Amino acid sequence: MMAEGATTTGTEAPSGAGFPPFKTESFPSQIFWLVVTMAFLFVVLWRFAGPRIKGTLEERRGMIQKEIETAQENRRKAEAATVAYETPLFEARERARAINDQYRERAAEDVKKAEAQADANAERATADAEARLARIRAEAKTHIAGAAKDAAIEIVSRLTGERISDAEAEAAVRAAQEA
Amino acid sequence: MAINPMEQFAVKPIVPLHIGHYDVSFTNQSLWMCIVVGAITLFMTMATSRRALVPSRMQSMAEISYEFVANMVGGAAGEDGLRFFPFVFTIFMFVLFSNFLGLLPGSFTVTSQIIVTFTMAGFVIAMVVVTGFLKHGIGFLKLFVPKAPFLLLLLLVPIEVISFFTRPISLSVRLFANMLAGHTLLKVFASFVIALGGAGLLAPLAAAPMFLIVAITALELLVAFLQAYVFAILTCIYLNEALHLHDHH
Repeated sequence: MMAEGATTTGTEAPSGAGFPPFKTESFPSQIFWLVVTMAFLFVVLWRFAGPRIKGTLEERRGMIQKEIETAQENRRKAEAATVAYETPLFEARERARAINDQYRERAAEDVKKAEAQADANAERATADAEARLARIRAEAKTHIAGAAKDAAIEIVSRLTGERISDAEAEAAVRAAQEA
Repeated sequence: MAINPMEQFAVKPIVPLHIGHYDVSFTNQSLWMCIVVGAITLFMTMATSRRALVPSRMQSMAEISYEFVANMVGGAAGEDGLRFFPFVFTIFMFVLFSNFLGLLPGSFTVTSQIIVTFTMAGFVIAMVVVTGFLKHGIGFLKLFVPKAPFLLLLLLVPIEVISFFTRPISLSVRLFANMLAGHTLLKVFASFVIALGGAGLLAPLAAAPMFLIVAITALELLVAFLQAYVFAILTCIYLNEALHLHDHH
């Protein structure tokens, strides 16, 4: 601190205080140049730099917005294409299943019908056979009775020399059959 | 060698100039205001001249400054406060660049002059008053009448009036004192470095204040930004009061 503050401040008429910011003689110059420079800066920022930066920012925001919209549009399209691709596939699969079901049903019906037919046939054949059997048995029974009656008459005539009537022989045969 | 920590704040005429009987000489302070404004103009116009969609670093910085202040104004003063954006932007950029460029060794810190900060603060308050009366007419005076019982109002109204009229002082002194104190501190420690450096055996001790200067410079960078921000945000808050009175509290 060798020099006095006042001698270094350089203004023409240094006033009492040695504290430069409080030296009032420089105030008019400071205010004047502050107003001039700030006014210039204000015009630059207000009229040129500000609008330009604002324009750039809005342009960028707009572009980003547009890109996002394009991307969303593309995604919507892709989803629609997927649906358009899958729908016929799904429909075709459904139709195939329907046809499949239909044929299986029809086949089952055919099988059932054929079974019923076969059952009916078999039943009829069985009934026929049984009827024929019964008839044959009945016939056989009468033949046997006739033969037995003849045989009985013959045997009696041989053994006794007597001739028995048909009715007697018949009754005897019936009695023997029933025993 | 004269090491006076106040010497850096001295305003020295470069080109003597008079308008009427006012001394409006072009001084070192005027020169540095021109440098500040020139630097901002270059920064804000050159960096943005390409208008690239993918910005360069400089363009990005200019855009960030713009959006930072735009968000500040919109947030603190509302949508209709955006009319004042160019004004707040100008003040913020001017104070910010003054503070930053003032940290360069050998430069002059424009905002370390009380008359500069007071003129700006006075202009802000004048604008608040004009805006308030234009928007609300005589109703602007309701700003000084908070919602309170009548007896309390007798106490509160004078307090509100005083606090309103001390705003230009607090606004200007805050910035001025911060800049002045920081630069004085730097100069004082710098003088320690020189004094110790020439003190023979004690010379290695000069490293201690040297280290402190580095640390304080880092702190001053923060203060430089912070004070510009505080000045601008308070401007927005005062404008908000003028626009919306107490509605937005």
